[in-house]
Amino acid sequence: MSLISRSRPAPPPARAPLSPARSTRTRTVLEWFRDPRHILLAVVALVVTYLAVVPAATMAVASLQSSFLNTGPAEWTLRHYTETLGSADFWTLVGNSFAYAAATAVLCTVIGFGLAYLVTRTNTPAKFFAQVAALIPLIIPGILNTVAWALLFAPHTGALNVLLGTLHLPAFNIYSLSGMVLVQSMHVTPVAFLMGTAAFTSMDSSLEEAALSSGAPPRRVFRTITARLIRPAIMSAALLMFVQTISTFEVPQLIGVPGHTFVFVSRIYKALQTFPTDYGTVGVTGIFILAVATVGLWLSRRLSGSGAAAQTITGKGYRPTVTDIGRWRWLGLAVFVLFFVCAVALPLLMLVWSSLLPGYEPPSLSALHHLTLANYRDILATPALISSVRNSLVTAVLAGVIVTVLSSLVAYITVKTKVRGRGVLEGLATVPLAVPSVVMGVGILYWYLTAPIPFQMYGTLTILVIAFVTIGLPYGLRYIVPGMAQIKDELEEAAAASGATWLRTFRRIYVPLLVPSLLAAFLYTVIVAFREISAAIFLYTQDTQVVSVTIYQEWSNGSYPIVAALGVAIVVFLALIVALVRLLGSKTGLNRQ
Amino acid sequence: MIEVRGLVKRFEGRAVSRNAVDGIDLDVPEGKLVTLLGPSGCGKTTTLRLIAGLERPDAGRISIGGKLVCAPGEGVYVGVHHRPIGVVFQSYAVWPHMTAIENVMFPLRSGQKRLPRAEARRRAMEALDMVGLADLADRPAPALSGGQQQRISLARALTREPEVLLLDEPLSNLDAGLRDRVRDEIRGVQQRLGITTVFVTHDQDEALAVSDEVIVMDRGRIVERGAAQEIYAWPREEFTARFMGISNSLPGTVLSRDANTVEIDLVQGRLSCLPTGKLSEGSSVNVFLRPESLVLSRKDPSGRGWKGTVEFSIYHGDCWDYHVRVGDTLLRSRMYREKIGLAHGDPVYVVPEEATAIAIPVNTDGDASGAGASLSGATAKGAGDIG
Repeated sequence: MSLISRSRPAPPPARAPLSPARSTRTRTVLEWFRDPRHILLAVVALVVTYLAVVPAATMAVASLQSSFLNTGPAEWTLRHYTETLGSADFWTLVGNSFAYAAATAVLCTVIGFGLAYLVTRTNTPAKFFAQVAALIPLIIPGILNTVAWALLFAPHTGALNVLLGTLHLPAFNIYSLSGMVLVQSMHVTPVAFLMGTAAFTSMDSSLEEAALSSGAPPRRVFRTITARLIRPAIMSAALLMFVQTISTFEVPQLIGVPGHTFVFVSRIYKALQTFPTDYGTVGVTGIFILAVATVGLWLSRRLSGSGAAAQTITGKGYRPTVTDIGRWRWLGLAVFVLFFVCAVALPLLMLVWSSLLPGYEPPSLSALHHLTLANYRDILATPALISSVRNSLVTAVLAGVIVTVLSSLVAYITVKTKVRGRGVLEGLATVPLAVPSVVMGVGILYWYLTAPIPFQMYGTLTILVIAFVTIGLPYGLRYIVPGMAQIKDELEEAAAASGATWLRTFRRIYVPLLVPSLLAAFLYTVIVAFREISAAIFLYTQDTQVVSVTIYQEWSNGSYPIVAALGVAIVVFLALIVALVRLLGSKTGLNRQ
Repeated sequence: MIEVRGLVKRFEGRAVSRNAVDGIDLDVPEGKLVTLLGPSGCGKTTTLRLIAGLERPDAGRISIGGKLVCAPGEGVYVGVHHRPIGVVFQSYAVWPHMTAIENVMFPLRSGQKRLPRAEARRRAMEALDMVGLADLADRPAPALSGGQQQRISLARALTREPEVLLLDEPLSNLDAGLRDRVRDEIRGVQQRLGITTVFVTHDQDEALAVSDEVIVMDRGRIVERGAAQEIYAWPREEFTARFMGISNSLPGTVLSRDANTVEIDLVQGRLSCLPTGKLSEGSSVNVFLRPESLVLSRKDPSGRGWKGTVEFSIYHGDCWDYHVRVGDTLLRSRMYREKIGLAHGDPVYVVPEEATAIAIPVNTDGDASGAGASLSGATAKGAGDIG
């Protein structure tokens, strides 16, 4: 490492005469590899490329083969595309998926940015409610949120439907498209809220003050200045929510399928459950989602990028202007409380309530007599549950370690060296962001079922770790790159100039400065991996079941109390990790979500 | 034109609980440029924002052009957009989603008096012309340089012909060379239009350059006010003296005083000084001496010189700064015409010019002298050597 960081890039080799080009080129390549930085780059690049490219590429190949995973001869064909894209059924699927994702994106962006405006720019009291609620999607995995809402709105016995009944209002049928939108929105709105908060606080409020002091009334300032400046961020957030919604498993499967509303993800899952499996059609659908996600993400990046570029430099240390909204702030408070109740209190209380009953029943005084801790004892007494928790812990921690090491290396190369091609490396490492988890899961599954490798990967925990590492890599980078960037070269050089050996410099300078970001990256990856289901659902086998999959299975079997008890345990566990990450974040100023 | 009385502003959640603006009275006469000068955190920007209406005071009264715009005690508060003001912000605050001319037209199209598009455009062009940017009118704002953006911001503030122009550190985001140009532009336009202006800055040179009157602020209070030349040549407060960069200070006691001068007894000898405040015989003072008013020579024909040795010298191009040790004190002397060629260890006489030294009563308020020390550490250290 010493050589890598200390030595300046070698001067470019003198331009060789044209005729003996070949031998010179070989020599140049050999010389290129003599530099340890380059070997490191090559190894890291290979690993990252492998992780980033394999799932999507396998998916693409499967969609172009006449038969996949069969013994018979396979040939290249576009048949799957013409057949799939030509069927009316597929376009119904597209319609459903887009309606579901678009409605969710619009709903959660509107609510999220509205809340963000209230929190950052108005004097609405008790902002605490909204800020706590914003952390919740990290703590309540999507599958638990879905389960909780399914219980709340269960057709006849759901707590909220019972409430609607006593008010003589019609019950809400959650097993519908609007039910899917509701549940998914509850899960992703906090993310939109965080993006909105970031957008509103990074906007120089003197831009609005300048308009006010030009004589424009506040309402007009909001319309002509605030709304216009925040628009790219809104579009960018909405696209991101769209991509996230269209590529996750739990809501379409648990809410959509019982109501016969199929979207891409649930159709892929169903196709893989039937025999003989039509791998080609799955491939085409996967590639379709991949394309949608890539375009969405690209647009989102472009919008947020141009938004950032359009911002004029901001004066140092301005405070965001807080508008006095008068009596309206009580309405704002009501909105905060409502949001908190919906996003946090209802799902959590529902889980706790159901976990304490032998069989599900809506909250009532008479039900209080049945409260028991038996479900928690049952978890401990069921070996399959315990082993799935162990599997989850093992895979999540392993993925966390690997992601931390790998993203440190990538960050080191991109931030601290001037090696050519380092930009490409960082680009590759963020590719997994654009690959929907479902595609990731199916792609990895296909690859390890067909890849010419000497050992069996399917049915091992390794394959799950690979999926989690790939999914976690971009998040790891997001923590470590800024951490690495804050260690200016001068800090290392100053230590060297003070006479410290490189090893001592590393121990006394790099490690203390970098440890918080490394830990944050590690813990965040553990959270992501622990909650993951959209890829894991395609990769697990009986022996390698992870806890998110277990919840899904127990739910399908109707063991609601067990699901709830397990859910409560997971929420407590994740809450502890999130608290730790926040603590690290506040200590190191790494408070970027 | 602007009248401020008893202005108080508290910020909640500060670690140290004190008022950001702590009872300020000020008047800005019609057509004059008044500067609020002070270190960061002295409350100057908050005062400006209170005048603009961007903050609400906790107490006090503000009127602009004879009209009461803010008096919390009487429940009066006129919104920012109803005040006859133009504001230029430190960060320019040029709207990035508009062109230069759209920025300047905004007050005319969205403000209280709305003009037809063609008329607004004509007026905006005039304003752009005034700041020399007419040919960049249709450029998108982010394509303009910092200096150009700040001039757009000035044109925008002026285009609706406000009664009062408020400038919040308009130069501090600009490069050194650009800063002088925009500064000249601001003072030029202000005098041409005769517009009443409040200018906030932490830079004393900037303040002296543009102001009719300078108000020195510290910790939310006004320390001293006066014409720029007065503040420069004869500061009455220790804080001002240190803030204006008078780096030599010597402790002494008052021997006698008459109408215009005061005789001070220093360790180095007797010195006749400009008096400030209440100086009675025997009271302790600090004597402040500008580097320019300490003349060095190898001989001492007048007999008034203080004998010392040269420690080191700093060359500035147009002048030399000599640091001379006199007894335990390190004095700084600035020589514009280098004749004597002094080096480390050379003996030399330091001759203070007549009627340039200022005697200021020793500040017994420990806080204030602490703040002064933080402003010019070298001076404080020099003074500490003696004490």
